[in-house]
Formats: sequence, structure tokens, C-alpha cells
Amino acid sequence: MSHPAHVIHIQELTKTFGKVRALDGLDLTVQPGEVHGFLGPNGAGKSTTIRILLGLIRATGGHVELFGADPWRQAAGLHKRLAYVAGDVALWPGLTGGQCLDVIGATHGGVDEKRREHLIERFDLDPTKRIRDYSKGNRQKVALVAALAAQVDLLVLDEPTSGLDPLMEQAFQQCVRERREDGVTVLLSSHILGEVEALADRVSIIRRGRTVTTGSLADLRRHTRTSVHAVTVEEPDGLARAEGVADWVCERLDGQVDTRFTIDADHLDAAIGRLHAARIHTLTVTPPSLDALFLRSYGEALDAHQAGETVAEVVR
Amino acid sequence: MSARYRAANPREGNLSTMVGIVWRTHRRGILVWVIALAASMIGTAAAVAGLYDTPAKIHTYAEAVTSGSALAAINGHVEGIDSLGGVIQDEFGFLASFLLPLLGIALIAGSTRGEEESGRLETILGGRIARHQPALAALAVATAAILVTSVFFAAGLALSGVPVSGSILYSAALGTLALAFAGFAALLAQLVLHARGVYTWSLIVLAVAYVLRGVGDTTTSWLTWISPLAWVEKTAPFGSQRWWVLAVPAVAGLASGGAAVWLAARRDLGSALLRGGTGPARATRLRRRPIGFAVWTHRPATAGWLAGGILLTGMMGSLARQFLDATAGNPAMAEAMGIEGGRPLDGFVAATQLYLAVIGAGYVIQAIGTLRAEEAEGRLETRLTGTLSRVRWLAAHGTVVAAGLVLIVVGSSLVLALSTAWSVGNTNEFGAIMNAGLAYLPAELVLAGLALALFGLWPRNFGFTWAGYAAATFIAFLGPGLKLTRWVLDLAPTTHVGNPPQGTVDAGNLTALAIIATALVLVGFIAFHRRDVPRA
Repeated sequence: MSHPAHVIHIQELTKTFGKVRALDGLDLTVQPGEVHGFLGPNGAGKSTTIRILLGLIRATGGHVELFGADPWRQAAGLHKRLAYVAGDVALWPGLTGGQCLDVIGATHGGVDEKRREHLIERFDLDPTKRIRDYSKGNRQKVALVAALAAQVDLLVLDEPTSGLDPLMEQAFQQCVRERREDGVTVLLSSHILGEVEALADRVSIIRRGRTVTTGSLADLRRHTRTSVHAVTVEEPDGLARAEGVADWVCERLDGQVDTRFTIDADHLDAAIGRLHAARIHTLTVTPPSLDALFLRSYGEALDAHQAGETVAEVVR
Repeated sequence: MSARYRAANPREGNLSTMVGIVWRTHRRGILVWVIALAASMIGTAAAVAGLYDTPAKIHTYAEAVTSGSALAAINGHVEGIDSLGGVIQDEFGFLASFLLPLLGIALIAGSTRGEEESGRLETILGGRIARHQPALAALAVATAAILVTSVFFAAGLALSGVPVSGSILYSAALGTLALAFAGFAALLAQLVLHARGVYTWSLIVLAVAYVLRGVGDTTTSWLTWISPLAWVEKTAPFGSQRWWVLAVPAVAGLASGGAAVWLAARRDLGSALLRGGTGPARATRLRRRPIGFAVWTHRPATAGWLAGGILLTGMMGSLARQFLDATAGNPAMAEAMGIEGGRPLDGFVAATQLYLAVIGAGYVIQAIGTLRAEEAEGRLETRLTGTLSRVRWLAAHGTVVAAGLVLIVVGSSLVLALSTAWSVGNTNEFGAIMNAGLAYLPAELVLAGLALALFGLWPRNFGFTWAGYAAATFIAFLGPGLKLTRWVLDLAPTTHVGNPPQGTVDAGNLTALAIIATALVLVGFIAFHRRDVPRA
């Protein structure tokens, strides 16, 4: 078998449910060994994309490749190489947690028994309790342990930490990092930006069934503005009108100069040089957060959409 | 302005809102129940009135039925059977003793423990609803539905020419029977953790009630009075009309319903008296395999329907001797059971095997319905995101359900063969009884195929399978007696089996049934292979 360059390769994917268009030309590419953040608001089409990727539902149009094969035709075979955690974990109420792990594990390509034991301990799970007696968070943990203990090449995690407390969320992040170090690829669907920011190498942001933006976090940040807050002894010379600087606020406080501005990444170096010349007292440089990326991407998409509607109205 | 901030009375809630919620969320099921029950009663009454249109015919029927205890065991002891109302009560007796309790149970289980189990009740109790009100509202809606059903019953009977007072008393007796089981189910819903537990325990009680009534009616002992099912016949609507007996089921229903509301107000949400403890930390090797897992999934349904089959066949087989003695002096009785000519014992076995066929068909539909439930609750996705393919999953379940059906049919037939042999003192019928049971398998598989095809093609409409089952059951039990037209009779798969061992089985017919079943199963497999999971 050939070694495909991409673990997941989706182009122009569409899916309609009756009259509802759930996916409308979505693109997604996940490379081997990366943790790929799959971001979007509720109802954007994240779970629909994942179900198509798992061969549970069939694409209406477009191209979908998983490990270089068609997931609809070869679902069961491809599933040897992946493990999946659904956002809304459904397990058998009459089975114990441990029995569920074994039943799910039996349909994975293989289970690392040592890691299974270790994960049960780490997530503080009682495997003799029945699923019906578990809380929502504990059910989520069963599904996570099953997936993380599986010997697979790809983890597909659909909002995996809903219902986990912050301590368990930390344990989860640590486990995902460990799996990545083992060379496992991870598709992490989420709307918790902090989690994606902590784990993801690259992200794709989708909205209304379309990919809005995709790239590494560094790439995405390059296109947004960095905030700078500096306290200097002298007033920075000519910085206010320098190229790439905006949102300029400068005031004198207690004999020092307090300056705030934003700057695009390409001109950061020159700006810091001017600040240095003004003798820096304190300096805070904040890279754009994923929240800002997220909101910016949505804002743009929203504007485009509204513009589109206006045009449509004019045409009509 | 201050009124808005008046101190909230902790007991105050909004019962009418809660009644509205129960009605809004369960009205479809309620309407189906009410319409189906009203239709079967009105249909039976109209058909009986058409068939037994002279006092002489009614008298012949009455003579036949009262001469043996086997019929009393099945349909109950009917006082005043020598009347149109009495004949209807006898014909409707078997169906009524299951459908009306089930009406009460079904109306309650889903809207009390079912809601609590799903977590929806927690959402509702977070609002302006007091803890006891969901149970009270469920009982109120159930009572209203039962009342409407009873009014339909009474109207249908009266329109068919049954005296009005008898019609009202009989309908009221059936209504209070449903009410007694509704109250009992409401009480169970406070004690067990799952809606399934409510069904299981109340069906066990129903089975025990049926046996007690059957034994009591054949031995005319006091046992009858313990059984809620017997309270209906003790009102003697077409005999001496004991109106006061209505108070017995009414008080039982109100007392258990009241206890349920009392408990609901005092216990913790989500708690139960009866709950399972911990279990093994590892799954056995067998359960990890698709087949073993399917066995575990279908075990409760298989055990339940097998118990029902054994109960029925054991009871009937034990009464074989009495039946033979009765028919020896009265050929008309055999006719009343739908057995005409031939050897009486063959007819007796044939009638029992038909009941068993309905039990077998009910099992396969429920078992395949479990697969739809697995999908609707999201567990099928969990199952199919591993290396298990759809076809293997469905094949494993199909195999287990088919094996369960064979177990139920062969096991129950064996019990019938053994108990009949014990009763009549010889094993002459052994082979015929076993063969008759097996001959119904293709017909039962047609219904299984129908269920699978619906699961593959239109899983959201799986309920239609139950409608088909209800229609087929009605035709199989009452069709020949009511002399329905040929094409209606032919709609029921069991009609084509040929009523063994009394009638002759046409191998061609069985083959045709098997081919239809196979085709339907194939449709189910292919459709399931190609459709989305879950189907939106």
C-alpha cells in the first residue's frame, strides 16, 4: 500500500439532509503526526464531517480520503487504524465501565493493556461501576480511556472534554501530548479555544459547513495584530506614525511614558528597536489569542455573508 | 409590584402545566393506544353482533363454551354468556386481559420513570413544577385516556345492540382494570431505576394474574379474587351486574397511584429502592465478540417471551384431558374454539400453537426494535466506529434473534408436548405438536423480515411494525371466528400455515412464506448497508 501524504484529505465536501445543507464545500487536510484543531461554533458541521470521515454517513458531494482510501467503502478496514470519541458518548447502561472498555476495545485494531490500566488510574475511574450509575463526566472518561488505550494511528476526538472537570481536562491534554509523541495523528474538534491552543499544531476553522481559514497557529497569528504595552523613560521617537502601527495610546504617568499600540508581525522588530531607544522600563508583548483569530475569522465570514445577502437583494 | 416577589409556597407548583407537558410529549402514543383499542373492541362487537344474530345461535355458542374449562382458562369465566354481550366478552376476553393492563402500564412507564431516566425530568423539576406533580400528571393523563377508551367501548357495544347498562358496566370494568395497572406501574416507577424495569415487573405481575385467574376459573376457587383480571368478570356485566365490584380495581388503582405520588414527593430525584450493584471489571471473551454481545443484548427479551410461551403451553397442555372430556359430550364446543371436524385434540393443539406463533412474532419484533433503540440512543455509532462492519453487526444480531425465536418455539412446543402427554397419558401427539410449532417459523420470520426491512429503509417509522403485528394478531385470533372475508384473513402470515396439526400444512405455502421472509431480510440488510447512521 502506498503511504499517502495526508491522513485526512477532504475537498469541496457537501452533505445535505433533505433541504438542509449541513456541509457546503468544506476542505480539511490533516498531516501525519500533527494535532489538528477543528474549530467551529455549534451546528457548523463538525460532527457531520466526522461522521462522514468515519463512514457512518455518506457524503452528498466532494472528495473524502482517510489514509488514502474512501471511508464509506472501507469503513471497517480503516477503523483498525483509528479510535473515536463522540461528543455525546452513548454507552450501554447495563454494562460496567470496564466491560464497556473491553467491548469497545474489541472493535479497535489493538489495545495496550498496560496503558489501559494506567489510564483508568489516571482518570480515576471505577471499572466495576455500571454505566447507568456514572455521571456524564465519568462516561466521557470511559470513552476517552478506550480511545487513548487503543493502538492506532489516528485519534478522532469530537468535543472530547465536555463534562470533564479542569483537573481531568489537564490529564486529558497530557495524554494527548503523549500520544502525539508516539507519532499518533489527532483530529481534535472543539469549541474550547484554550484546549485547541494548548494542543493543536494546526487548526481549521469552519462556519456554516465551509472552511473559513486553515493553517498553523503561527501562520494564522502572522495575519493578525500583536498588542504591545511598554513603559519607557522617554517618549518613543516617531513610533506613532511608523509603518504597521495602529491603536496608538500614549500618556505620561509618574514621570514615565506609558504606551499601548498594536502592530502587525512584520514590523514588530522595528517597533521594538524604537522602544529600546526610548529606554524600556517594562514591556509586554501579547501575541494574538486564538479567540481573536476565531472572532476575526467569524467576523469576516459574517461580513462576507451579509454582503452577499445585500447583493442578492439588489439583484432581485 | 410586590406580588411578583411574594414568598413561594414550596408545595405550590403548576399541575396543569405539567399535565400539558405529559400530553404534549406522549400524545402520539396515547392516541395510537386509544384508537387501536377502541377499533378492536368496536370491530369485535360489530362482527359478533353480525355473526350471532339470533338467540338460537347465541345459545349454541354459550352451550359450547360453558361445557369445558379449557376455554374458561383462556378467555375467563363469563357470567350471562347466553347473551350478545356475553359472547362479546368471551371473544374479547383473551385480548382484553393483556391489552388493557398494557394500556395502563404503557401510559405510565414512559411518562414517569422513562422521563426521569433520560434526565428530562430534571430539567422540568428545575422549573415551576413540584416533585410529586410529574407522577400526578402522568396518572391524570392516563386516567383521562382510559376514560376516553371506556367511553368508546361503551358506545361501540351499545351501538352493536348490547343493553346499555351492561355495556357501561363492562366498559367501566375494563377501564378500572387498566387504571389498577396504571396505578401499580406508577408505584413501580418510583421503586425501580429504569422504565424497562417497570415493564418487566408489571408484566410478571400480569402473567401471575393471568395464571391465577385461569386456575381460579377452572377450579372455581377463591384464587380468582386475588387476580385483578378476574375483577372484570366478577362485575358480571351481562349477568347479575355487581356494580360494587368496580370499587375493588378503582381502590387498588387509587391507592397505588396515591402511594406513587406520596413517594415521588419524598424521595430523591433519580433514586430507586431496587438498583443493581457493581459488576465485573472486565468483559468475558464471549461478550467482546459480536455474537456474544448480541446474545447479551437480546437475553432479557428472549427470557421474557420464552417464559410467556412456556406459561401458556404448560397451562394448555395440562388442561388437555379436561378439554377432551368436555368435547366428547359436546362437539359444538370445539366449533366455538374455531375447531371444526377432525380429532378434537389436534384442534386443541392447533389453537395453542397459533397463540405460540403470536408470541414468537412478538419476540422477533421486539428484539429487532432493540436495534432501532440502539441507533436512536447513539450506541450504534459507538459500535460501528471500530472494526465491526455494519453487515457483520446486523448479521450477528439477526442470527441471535433467529436462534432466540427457535428456542422460544421449540422450548414452548416441547413444554406443550410434555404437558399434553402428562395430561392425556400418552405421547401420541408428541411429533405432531413439535412439527406444528416448527411449521409456524416461516410465518414468524415474515414479520421479522418486515421489521428488518423497516429498520433498514425507514427506521424512524419502526412503530408501523407493531401496527402490522397488532393487525396480524387480531386477524389470526378473531378473524376465523368473526368470519372475515378471505383477503383480510390472507393478510396475516399465520393464515397460510394451514392450522397444524388439525389442518394440513402446504409445503408450497411455507416455502412462499420463507421466500418472502428472505426477500424482506435482504431488503433490510441492503438498505441498512447503504443508509446513514444515525438516519436523520
